[in-house]
Amino acid sequence: MTRNPRARSFAFATIAGLIGAIAAPLYAADDGDHVSVELISEHTALAPGQSQQLGILLRHEPHWHTYWINPGDSGLPTTLAWTLPPGVKAQEIAWPMPKRFDVGGLYNFGYDGEAVLPVAVSVPADAAPGSKAHIAVDAKWLVCREECIPGRKTMTLDLPVAPPTDPPKPDGRWTMQFSRARLAEPQATAWKATNAADGDRIVVTLRGPSLPAADGLDAFVAERKLVDNKPPRIKHEGDALIVDFAKSEYFGTPPESFDLVLTQPSAAGVRGWRVQVPFAAKAAP
Amino acid sequence: MTLRITLIAAALAFAVPAVAAPVVGKAAPDFSVTDANGKTQSLSAYKGKTVVLEWNNPECPFVGKHYGAKNMQEQQAAAASQGVVWLTVNSAATGKQGHLDGAGANAYLAKVGGKETAYLLDGDGKVGHAYDAKTTPHMYVIDKDGVLRYMGGIDSIASTDKEDIPKATQYVRQALAEIKDGKAVSVPTSEPYGCSVKYGS
Repeated sequence: MTRNPRARSFAFATIAGLIGAIAAPLYAADDGDHVSVELISEHTALAPGQSQQLGILLRHEPHWHTYWINPGDSGLPTTLAWTLPPGVKAQEIAWPMPKRFDVGGLYNFGYDGEAVLPVAVSVPADAAPGSKAHIAVDAKWLVCREECIPGRKTMTLDLPVAPPTDPPKPDGRWTMQFSRARLAEPQATAWKATNAADGDRIVVTLRGPSLPAADGLDAFVAERKLVDNKPPRIKHEGDALIVDFAKSEYFGTPPESFDLVLTQPSAAGVRGWRVQVPFAAKAAP
Repeated sequence: MTLRITLIAAALAFAVPAVAAPVVGKAAPDFSVTDANGKTQSLSAYKGKTVVLEWNNPECPFVGKHYGAKNMQEQQAAAASQGVVWLTVNSAATGKQGHLDGAGANAYLAKVGGKETAYLLDGDGKVGHAYDAKTTPHMYVIDKDGVLRYMGGIDSIASTDKEDIPKATQYVRQALAEIKDGKAVSVPTSEPYGCSVKYGS
């Protein structure tokens, strides 16, 4: 370990983390405040040339939650800053489908109970088998019940780079968490989405195979400042599913497109779908 | 006619109950509410002056960021030196985090060195709902004619990090400077960030 040149960067990252903790006294001293936060890996090693799953495992105390990429009326999304070995790249968080929290008539989007924020990392083809990859992440989050507490933690993982003869094995400690994370990912759909911004409404029309029933359906927009955070009106009209949002009172320059996530509770757990909606000022059916 | 009434009733039943949010460029809602010293404060009493409204909850970490770094107090003092009225509003309901009575509010202001004109006790949430205030902080700037000129966040970087303040655009400071110079407010709305306002049910 000490002969590994990455050991130095590990020590540096830890000291930087400590300095950060001292300089920012607003943060909880550790993750003991209402949510435990852990960096996990689906596999016990990295494979050269592969993409693999890491995750931030969030375990919330009852009634406490952290936030989706769009936190809603208040709150902050969890952010991750990675320090990775040369050539290793981390993707953005593959945000699991959010839950809606009603906070006295204001709405927040996020996670409670146990949740994993999955992050795909790609390993360069020339990573040397037998070497150790030192992975560090500085996570910042806001955990709220009604009151809110910011948290921050620097976490590290040292994963060996596996030789081709011995490919990485799943880490038995986290198999269930990563299986659940895959179920919590909104599934991509082949739906055709159109959007009409009409006065103070933004109305999305969805057409295509296997549209869910409107019953119990909720919808979320990943981009902020686009729609109001109240639950939209959702109904079927002929072969189309209509999701009718109030426009955000902070609506400014519209994006070219936005990401819509639908969720629906079922006996087998919550199902989720995602679809990209081109933004158009007028309906283009 | 009956059909029309039915349709209106159906539309009302379908709509999520909501207050009409104030609109930039239109008259800001008037209010009458007691401040920490027991004095009645209204917006109309300040006609002829620019007024800033700041939603506050002393226990919210986003409020703590801006008071801890003195950003809020400095902006309050700068506003006061220009004759701008600054009203800090606490809409936390009784029993909710951050709810204060007059004595509690004055103790808080003494501790943080608040430089506002008055601290309004809006425990029943009337002023908060009239302005559709969502977060602490949530900021509004109203000109001398009572027209809303800015609503939204205190600045442009949504975080609880004090280190972000110097890097952020301070929207209220900017709006006040532009109004003073007779200019249009260049950023009239931004999405507010912070803790949710702790309204009663």
